Amino acid sequence: MTATVSETPQVQGTTGRISRVIGPVVDIEFPLDAVPTVYNALTTQVELSEGVRTITFEVELHLGNGIVRAVSLQPTDGLVRGQEVQDTGAPISVPVGDVTKGKVFNVTGDVLNDSMLEEPYEITERWSIHREAPSFDKLESKTEMFETGIKVIDLLTPYVQGGKIGLFGGAGVGKTVLIQEMITRVAQDHGGVSVFAGVGERTREGNDLIHEMDESGVLKNTALVFGQMDEPPGTRLRVALTGLTMAEYFRDVQNQDVLLFIDNIFRFTQAGSEVSTLLGRMPSAVGYQPTLADEMGVLQERITSTRGNSITSMQAIYVPADDYTDPAPATTFAHLDATTELSRDIASRGLYPAVDPLASSSRILDPLYVGQDHYDTAVRVKQILQKNKELQDIIAILGVDELSEEDKVVVHRARRIEQFLSQNTYTALQFTGVEGSTVSIKDAIEGFRGICDGDFDHIPEQAFFNVGPIDDVLRNYAELQKES
Amino acid sequence: MGAQQRVYKAKINSTSSLRKIFKAMELIAASRIQKAVARAQSASPYAREITRAVSVVATQSNVEHTLTTEPETIDRAAVVVIGPDRGFAGAYSANVIREAEELVAHLKDEGKDVALYTVGRKAETYYTFRERAIEQSWSGFSESPSGADARRIGEALLAAFEKPAAQGGIDEIYLVSTVYRSAVDRQPEYRRLIPLEVVEEDGAAAEARVSSQPDTVFPLYEFEPSAEEVLDALLPRYIDARIQSALLSAAAAEQAARQQAMKTATDNADDLIKTYTRLANTARQAEITQEISEIVGGVDALAASGASD
Repeated sequence: MTATVSETPQVQGTTGRISRVIGPVVDIEFPLDAVPTVYNALTTQVELSEGVRTITFEVELHLGNGIVRAVSLQPTDGLVRGQEVQDTGAPISVPVGDVTKGKVFNVTGDVLNDSMLEEPYEITERWSIHREAPSFDKLESKTEMFETGIKVIDLLTPYVQGGKIGLFGGAGVGKTVLIQEMITRVAQDHGGVSVFAGVGERTREGNDLIHEMDESGVLKNTALVFGQMDEPPGTRLRVALTGLTMAEYFRDVQNQDVLLFIDNIFRFTQAGSEVSTLLGRMPSAVGYQPTLADEMGVLQERITSTRGNSITSMQAIYVPADDYTDPAPATTFAHLDATTELSRDIASRGLYPAVDPLASSSRILDPLYVGQDHYDTAVRVKQILQKNKELQDIIAILGVDELSEEDKVVVHRARRIEQFLSQNTYTALQFTGVEGSTVSIKDAIEGFRGICDGDFDHIPEQAFFNVGPIDDVLRNYAELQKES
Repeated sequence: MGAQQRVYKAKINSTSSLRKIFKAMELIAASRIQKAVARAQSASPYAREITRAVSVVATQSNVEHTLTTEPETIDRAAVVVIGPDRGFAGAYSANVIREAEELVAHLKDEGKDVALYTVGRKAETYYTFRERAIEQSWSGFSESPSGADARRIGEALLAAFEKPAAQGGIDEIYLVSTVYRSAVDRQPEYRRLIPLEVVEEDGAAAEARVSSQPDTVFPLYEFEPSAEEVLDALLPRYIDARIQSALLSAAAAEQAARQQAMKTATDNADDLIKTYTRLANTARQAEITQEISEIVGGVDALAASGASD
């Protein structure tokens, strides 16, 4: 699995015959002297009531005696044993370059939004979706912070320009909303190209995204690739690579800074596990594929910045049953520069974005990169929240009155900090009715330092809820006082 | 997963040992309540009678005495906060301090200076933590106050009362303490000690008195050698008795509050143990299920690959 195929065109047109079909996994027998190589794409035509459909397969295993085991990228209904299958002689390739902007693709690089396009287009260049990761000497070595304007993220898990960012969270804690918020905040101010890969998530959300991007005018600079949850596992397994290949072209050939959004990396792992046993691999921990770490590594190592040109990626990662020790999220952790964990506990209190301030982390939360001031404030905030967390058990048993005076102050400030970590966001406008806000990191640091110093101890908690900079808090407070 | 189970086990263990402590404290408090209540009740007749005696003297003589007449201007008021020495009594301490803070705010609104006196370590730390000046504080006897303790407090207050205002003297003394009514009913209250106000009495006691002496008209008294001297002699006794009575009532209330708080704590600990036990069970079951499915899956995969080859 580690070998990635380079683009060496092979003899095309060998024909094989289907010998077995088990769901998305198909065995195909080829003449012994013309067996397609691993990762080659195979195609066949199926006649269904709605017309003729082309089915694409990708070779994964050689079983011997000319038989290859392949994963189908389309539903396999209609296939029969003995049916002829063509070897395309090359891996799946997708269109790259300027032509991809403003278009929506599926995993094999077909344009899906033809009806939206006004001008005709011509695909001039195609790249294979399997590529080598950049070599060590080409990697970017400098580190710079990437401001998002969301207080909790900028302060506690600062993102890295050209880095890999993971948004972890269980079901329904706001991963997709946060990814979309990031697209709104970042892609719209970002001059360069963005690529969005929708992997196994809701089709409706993909549709909403396309229309939102069209309305806000960023669609013309964005390539979208979708393989949503209704697609077979083969598609979900490869669609991230399709998006990534397009991003790589912008980075390597056009020397641009690219934003890559992937929602959701877990579905990639999940798709791998769906076909793994069918491919004949022994299930490993929790039933995942034994090649889990390798598959993840091959994908993640390609999402990287090379000297001068960056791919800044944001990946949503679903956490099954809120269990962070699950192999899928655990394997992903190691590849990321910044991890933002979303917590159900915080989401259930109505505090959005529901970032867990103690579990989230960033490689660059270090005075060397973000400055002493930022670092000190972040550490103080974490200390207060950590202490508060420890005190929660005592409060649960004895009540808040039993705390010492010092601890009461800690709890008091921690509660304000927790509220202040929530923020009004642009995409949540439809839920909250409040316009979003962008807070500069300087303002965020100032606000949090003020709370840690006790400058705002007199302001009631609700004034800190869903606000932007500390000025908003003061305004809320003034309003509250006017009311009472 | 194994790690998760361990975390829950550790939490269950620590909560169980806490629970034992709370249960023991609850029982101790329960056994002390009776004694504290008995002491408070046995002190109240004396306090009532001396207050009555003072009222009688005050109403029957027209002497101008600091004890009975309101000074024209009150510059400085003393607030004596009676709180507990130890915690573990729920909101007992917080409630009495809140009452005191309300009183202090009220007095300050009236333009008075406030001198704080605290009884009990909890009340003391509340003010020292906030760096607020305390005139004097006493502690170490909140659970079993003696007459001597009351006298010490009384003497200090009286000394301040007799000083002229310019030298930091006080014109008014307020007592803030928790009044024990029954095992479940305690109220933080403030009462003005001097100048004398209308006499406080327990509702039941007042009724009993009214029924036994309908429409009490105070008997006529003659004062020897003079009303002033009688008042002078009565004053310290009156203050001591009132303080003693407040201390004893507060002590009873403290025990009752502690018993109740510890009972709640025990219940909460039980709830937590129950929750953690369930989580631990879920974690254990998840681990078992996972292991089984891994083994079965492995066997299946082996069988399948064996069959296809």
